[in-house]
Amino acid sequence: MVDPLTATIMIIAGGVLVGVCVHFIPASATGAMAAATGIATGPSMLSAGAGLAGIYAAAYSIDSGLAPVIVSGAVGSALMLLITILCGNIMLAFGIGAPPVSGQTASGKSTFSGTKDIITGFEQEGYASPGTDGHGMPFQTAVSGTIGALMGGAGGALVFYAVYSMTLPEIATENAVTLAGIVAAGVFLINSVLPAYVLVGKTEGVFDMKIRSIHRTFISCLVTSSIVACVIYAVCELAVSGVMV
Amino acid sequence: MAAIISLLLGTALAGLLAFLAGIFEDSESNAGSASNPNSQVQLAPQIGNRHRYFNKAISGEPPANALWATTAATIAYLLTAHFGGDAFAVLIASIIGAAASTLLLCAYGVLSHISRIASMKNFEQTMYWDSLLTPLPLDAAFGFLTALMLTLLAFAAHSLLGNPFSVPLLAFFFGITIGAIGSSTGDIYYGAERLYQHYIFGSGIPISVQGDIDVKGEYGYRNSVDTPYFTMRFGGLVTGLAFGMLIFLDAWSRLFTFAGVWTSVIVVSVLVLIILIFIYLLEVYARKRYGRYTED
Repeated sequence: MVDPLTATIMIIAGGVLVGVCVHFIPASATGAMAAATGIATGPSMLSAGAGLAGIYAAAYSIDSGLAPVIVSGAVGSALMLLITILCGNIMLAFGIGAPPVSGQTASGKSTFSGTKDIITGFEQEGYASPGTDGHGMPFQTAVSGTIGALMGGAGGALVFYAVYSMTLPEIATENAVTLAGIVAAGVFLINSVLPAYVLVGKTEGVFDMKIRSIHRTFISCLVTSSIVACVIYAVCELAVSGVMV
Repeated sequence: MAAIISLLLGTALAGLLAFLAGIFEDSESNAGSASNPNSQVQLAPQIGNRHRYFNKAISGEPPANALWATTAATIAYLLTAHFGGDAFAVLIASIIGAAASTLLLCAYGVLSHISRIASMKNFEQTMYWDSLLTPLPLDAAFGFLTALMLTLLAFAAHSLLGNPFSVPLLAFFFGITIGAIGSSTGDIYYGAERLYQHYIFGSGIPISVQGDIDVKGEYGYRNSVDTPYFTMRFGGLVTGLAFGMLIFLDAWSRLFTFAGVWTSVIVVSVLVLIILIFIYLLEVYARKRYGRYTED
């Protein structure tokens, strides 16, 4: 267990991690028409799905201490994201009949110069369908997504454990876990939606130039998470002091 | 011994329920054009394609599914407290809960379709009653089955797998996650293949032709009843595979005990690496199989 002040800082750190993670997860709404690289849905909702899968996994380890909770959340989130990427690519390869390709890299507009996948070395130019900005999730974006999911899952689990620590003294364990889960899901949804204003519906993870706007997400999530953390701290303190239960 | 049997049973049951939930969720979203491809159905009248698709997108797929699942699970959980906690009571309570959430889905679906079509009045899109009343029961049936599967899955995760979250919260988590998976995998098949079957196979849909969807079927105008018939054969199965694999592997990783509290973390980490290898191999295969796009 951690003391309430440390828990408040953990909520802020977790919220910021959740917000920043969205920049790393490749997603694009027009991906549903195989017209852009990235998992075929909005970055915010996809991150929320992955993050909540992480919190679900972390809940099993809640009695094992802080470190197992955070790591369980991180790997649970990564598992969800990678299964989604694999099945999205299966759909693209066998349902649409096109290979995964990074549109930004193919057109030379990637964060890293060149038109090759920086991990596998596969040439991207010429593999995107004419008139589209790539499709599917090539290996480099899958790795970027894995890093993002690890961060997001860890952030969500951090908030979950912090709220659990703050509420546990006053209410029964099973209620504290559920309450912490609700609050962690809420903090996750708030912070995963904020980057949408920077990403405007599409990102290829660290290979997209939008990664350079990450400081805006960082600041906005820091401010929002600080307010949310202060509210949670105040409510828990009032509950502990017996003013409200 | 009883705990081990409960875990094994829970793992198998949760995997099966999640697989079925994935298939039904994808079919529900495709029957109602509920996810990202709804933009294409919405665009169609603007470029002169009058259609008879059911278009009931209310919100993103994750919050919508979370709403159906949480409503069903909350009612089921309250009824279970009233009926008693045996398996039969859970099943009956889940059916009642899912039926209640289906009524909600129908109400939102009707209002959403009517208002979406009404907003296309300037582009001469007509409000066809058959495009609403024919697919609505099918969509509601898939919605009912999704909510039922997710409610039963939440009960299985809570009672058999031992997740400490309460049943309605688990249903909320599963609703958000299945929505994210469904709109990321199955919808590609609807958005890039089913809606654009008159374009050549083997290509993404260029931005310049978006909205030019298929409006004619084998016999007369195409409607949304035909859509799940097509997408369930591949899109639905892959969505089911994704969600089923996630729930099954997550539960399966907890069956081992060789490294104490870190066991499941180690097992899932190995699984993550294996999936990364599969992603690499699939990319190699797809690049070799299809090659570069050429001028002709």
